[in-house]
Amino acid sequence: MKKLALLAIIVLIFGTISPSLTNQAYAQNDPSILLRIATQADKQIVNQLNNVYSNQIPNNIEILYDKGHTAVKSLDESLTNNDIEKAKQDFLVAMNSFMQISRTISQSSEKVVVTVTSNITNQKISNELDRLEKYVKTLESISKRHNDIAQNSGEFTKAYSLIKEIRNQIVTGENLSKNINELKILVDSIKNDMRKSAAEKQSNAIKRFFERLIDQIDQKVMEIKDSEYDQTDIEKAKELILEIRELLSKNQINSAKIVYSELKVILQNIGISVRLA
Amino acid sequence: MSSLIEPIHSKNPLGDDGILFVRNDSIFDTMVKTPLLVASMIIVAALLPIQSSFSSPRDLDLIIYPDGSTHVSTEIDVDPLLTDYKVNLFGSTIDNLVVIGDSGFLLDADVIDDTALIQTFGSSVITMEYDIHDLVSKQGKLWTFSLDSPSDFTLLLPQNSAIVGMTNLPINMEIINDQNQLTLSSGKTEIDYFFSTNNITNPTVETETDYFSYVIVGGIIIVILIGTTIFVRNKQNNLNSVKYSQTSQKNNIFDLETIFKLKPDLREDDKELVKFIFNNNGEALESELRKKFLQPRTTMWRAVKRLEREGVIEIEKKDLQNLVKLRKNMEEEQ
Repeated sequence: MKKLALLAIIVLIFGTISPSLTNQAYAQNDPSILLRIATQADKQIVNQLNNVYSNQIPNNIEILYDKGHTAVKSLDESLTNNDIEKAKQDFLVAMNSFMQISRTISQSSEKVVVTVTSNITNQKISNELDRLEKYVKTLESISKRHNDIAQNSGEFTKAYSLIKEIRNQIVTGENLSKNINELKILVDSIKNDMRKSAAEKQSNAIKRFFERLIDQIDQKVMEIKDSEYDQTDIEKAKELILEIRELLSKNQINSAKIVYSELKVILQNIGISVRLA
Repeated sequence: MSSLIEPIHSKNPLGDDGILFVRNDSIFDTMVKTPLLVASMIIVAALLPIQSSFSSPRDLDLIIYPDGSTHVSTEIDVDPLLTDYKVNLFGSTIDNLVVIGDSGFLLDADVIDDTALIQTFGSSVITMEYDIHDLVSKQGKLWTFSLDSPSDFTLLLPQNSAIVGMTNLPINMEIINDQNQLTLSSGKTEIDYFFSTNNITNPTVETETDYFSYVIVGGIIIVILIGTTIFVRNKQNNLNSVKYSQTSQKNNIFDLETIFKLKPDLREDDKELVKFIFNNNGEALESELRKKFLQPRTTMWRAVKRLEREGVIEIEKKDLQNLVKLRKNMEEEQ
């Protein structure tokens, strides 16, 4: 029995730590990628330095570049010698030096967080269109999976033709705002239709889940001793539970969800868990 | 060690110093009930992964667009006993959010600042996709991607971008459609990149690629030669067996209708997969399926495994990737 217990414990301990061992092993699967990235960065930095400073590279940047370049050479040697730990250190030193150089070069410019700005360029519109197209494709694939495509196919076709039209307009330099707004409205409407359809198809499952949950919450509220909490909260919770039950009986799932969010706040005040047991 | 332990009822007399030896064989059994210990260990071991898995993404893929916006797709394990689930997003400027439950239906989600409250209602896994504008900043010509990720993730950089600095060691790097895809570990990551006008080539990579391609071409030629020799010999020596083989192949020909008739319980999304594989000459890489159906890696992996269990497909390894093939002997198995 003792041997069996010992074996079980060893197996369990090994089972617990084995995933982390796998991750560590995976991190070292192809160290040559480090050299590829560092070499590419080195060349890119040389290009940038030539473009910005020509032959008059400031001393501090030259020191940084020498440090980075030496680390790349050392990285190459470390990999040849199969010294992975040293290779990792070299990689980080090289990339850190190149990072400092590139940031120094760019320091004179103002830092901008990339957000949607009013200064819309063709590049931005093209990227926005790429994102919208991906979004439409995602919605289309969900729609296909649930056989909603028949009812939405016209809308998807319209969306794709609008995307195509906008791409042509980018080339010809026409005003795009009308079509882009139309596309966004169309995509929102497709999503809303799909959401409604999903709600209908899932209503039975959600209803069953809700009813079980409300039963359990009701039980917990009943068990609360009156003196423990604010009586108003308890009374309000009971009212909302009744209201949710009524809405569920009428199959008004969305309305029930709204009332439930109100109930949840009160339950949190009372200290009742909203997790299905 | 055990030789030093003497039972209390030992016939040996006590030593001069009067040390009392105690029988300790059963102390472990007496003080700690072994089955209880084992059961507790099993429970702890079972709960640890479950606890850590809730709320941590099991899959996180990011794509940076040339304008610095980022597409995020992630799959998260959630508690199926809760009505809703709060997800921390990576920023507050979110567009095109889509959340799908494990039944494949759209889930309702409210975005408040950098969190999304998702109405899960029993889903155990949710898939989220959204675009975000907070992860990349630009200074002059330098673009900086920063993220504090809760899990390992993949990052697809834009075309013509050249990395010039990074704070972490990458786990892996691949080239996908002329774009660098890095696999990075959890934690804080910063990556600086420029858009390169010069096409930088890496001599090391080129040498490796050339060498590798020579090996592949050589290998293919050898395989073709061996195959042709075997084929010619077989044709000359055993004409009858070839005829038999052709007949048996004819018997194995199937179409989509037959597959769906044989497997009437296939899910609609699985049927779409089968259709795609069928139209793709009966085979497709798992990565191709992911791209075609815009599915995260684990979702597609589960779908493929499901089809394999159903006996519709078989999975082979090809260049370290999963090649999914429609099975030819489905009817026989039935």
